[in-house]
Amino acid sequence: MSTVSPSLPAATPPPRLHRRSALMRLISAPAGAILVAFLLLQLACITYALIAPDDFRYLSARNLTILMKAIPVLGCLALGVGILMIAGEFDLSVGSIYTLTAVVMAVQVAGGLNPFLAAGLAILIGVAIGILHGWITLRAGLPSFIVTLGGLLFWRGAVLLYNGAVQVRFDPGPVFSDLFGGTFLGVNAAFWWFLALSVAFFFLLHRHRFGNHVFATGGNRSAATAIGIDVGKVKIAAFAIAGGMAAFAGILATVRVGSVQPGQGTGLELQAIAACVIGGLSLTGGRGSVLGIFLGAMLIHTITNVLLLLRAPGFYLDMFIAVLIVGAAAFNSLIERKGRG
Amino acid sequence: MGRPILELHNISKRFGALTALRDLSFHIGEGEVIGLLGDNGAGKSTAINLISGIHRPSAGHLSVDGHETLFTCRNDSAEAGIETIYQNTALVDSLSITRNIFMGRERCSAGGMLKLAQMREIAMEVLKSAVHISGIDSPDMLVGDLSGGQKQAVAIARAVYFKRRILLLDEPTSALSVRETEAFLNQVLKLKSENVSSVLVTHNLYHAYQVCDRFVIMSHGTKVFDVPKAQTSIGQLTEYVVMT
Ligand SMILES: Nc1ncnc2c1ncn2[C@@H]1O[C@H](COP(=O)(O)OP(=O)(O)O)[C@@H](O)[C@H]1O
Ligand SMILES: [Mg+2]
Repeated sequence: MSTVSPSLPAATPPPRLHRRSALMRLISAPAGAILVAFLLLQLACITYALIAPDDFRYLSARNLTILMKAIPVLGCLALGVGILMIAGEFDLSVGSIYTLTAVVMAVQVAGGLNPFLAAGLAILIGVAIGILHGWITLRAGLPSFIVTLGGLLFWRGAVLLYNGAVQVRFDPGPVFSDLFGGTFLGVNAAFWWFLALSVAFFFLLHRHRFGNHVFATGGNRSAATAIGIDVGKVKIAAFAIAGGMAAFAGILATVRVGSVQPGQGTGLELQAIAACVIGGLSLTGGRGSVLGIFLGAMLIHTITNVLLLLRAPGFYLDMFIAVLIVGAAAFNSLIERKGRG
Repeated sequence: MGRPILELHNISKRFGALTALRDLSFHIGEGEVIGLLGDNGAGKSTAINLISGIHRPSAGHLSVDGHETLFTCRNDSAEAGIETIYQNTALVDSLSITRNIFMGRERCSAGGMLKLAQMREIAMEVLKSAVHISGIDSPDMLVGDLSGGQKQAVAIARAVYFKRRILLLDEPTSALSVRETEAFLNQVLKLKSENVSSVLVTHNLYHAYQVCDRFVIMSHGTKVFDVPKAQTSIGQLTEYVVMT
């Protein structure tokens, strides 16, 4: 017991020095590092493409179109998975949700349902599955990693149960096709959707009360509870968003290809998590930004594209992304440890 | 002192096999400052958390203004006018000072969009007036970048800003300097003059003796002594805390 004598005064901490260089500040800001990496990569690509336009067709209209068509699917998945990661949970099932909801939509449209209703149904199913995963995770007190690993297998099986191992054609008519797969002001509609959703997610996560609760829940669950935030509700909402965004990604992909393969989407959940990690999201929750998620998805596809243009064999791509993920995660945790000061 | 506004009646709290609170009863009067004292592990924080609605009692009940109540979550206790500084400060490292102060109680427009500029201004104001702490130069700093004392200052600012009837203060000064602690104790007295009651948990009996009107001493999860300041001395309090 130390109560008899007046306890020693805790020394006033010396004022911390905040004279870090501008570059250091930028890099340790959320999404700062990836912004720098992304701009450097773009600079290198554009320079090389200008010097050797015949060898490296990065800036050709055809390549840019391919790139813009490829990004939104992963991007939308990553937005949903990212908000959930910031809330402190993982979703490994988004690739399966993406396939299941797309198959349901395509089968329903083939059976005569209005494509807009079918798309609404797909999103509803995605949201419902997300809520179910969240509910099981919280109710049973399990890691979401395990619950959604179960989801990954279960819903992939459900695809085959629902419609067998056959490809489904998707022919929604011109209005639907134009809205989700057409071209507007020279830019692919899917990319417009991704841009619009990124802006919406920015406001939701960084400017709305809900976003503040998401960060609080993932950053310090017991503090959030102690201050009166219903962390269970926040997490379930984040699971629902992840499921809904997976279904939306499925719609974009299905319109683009014109059909659904029952085996598609394998590995997409890991790519989405990779995009988030590369974008600076913490694996333990509470840290990250929409700009980071956006750039993470862009970066993965830019690198994929560059390696394809350089005619590098496919395994280089996997190895490159792997190095990027581990490097980004190590970098994030370094920044976080510094932040705990 | 004024009439009791919050009473604990025969509260017990078990965590599995461990009994953290045993048949604990005491009351908090209007405008009264209570020193909740006791050795580490006596159950002070458990009592504070229970009054805050974080834990539910295993037995016994609470009354607010004479009416029996059950707090099932933090929002219930907030509704009863209770505001808490938790021993672990309950702050989120990855959020700014402003966002921590308004966490869960954000100032929003109708659509739920944050009024960041307004909250920032209030945060700056309360940080300056509630605690005079050095080294916090902007409410945009991340809490994770603050020292232990600065974090405590943020927790204090938050509680002082949202205080209504009862402040629960669980070792709020453990990382503060002498000057900062003095300022904080004066703040407690000022709030008392505004008829805000407080429960102050501290290991420093001199601090407690300086501001408290009554002392409740706990040992092994129950109350062993409950005495007004006029009828006791630091020596006697020390004896009770150490010997029981
Ligand atoms: N959430 C909990 N789960 C299990 N045991 C707990 C919990 N909170 C407190 N305890 C136990 O209850 C006892 C009282 O702890 P506490 O109230 O923190 O004491 P004090 O604040 O007086 O030091 C301790 O033995 C502690 O380990
Ligand atoms: Mg304690």
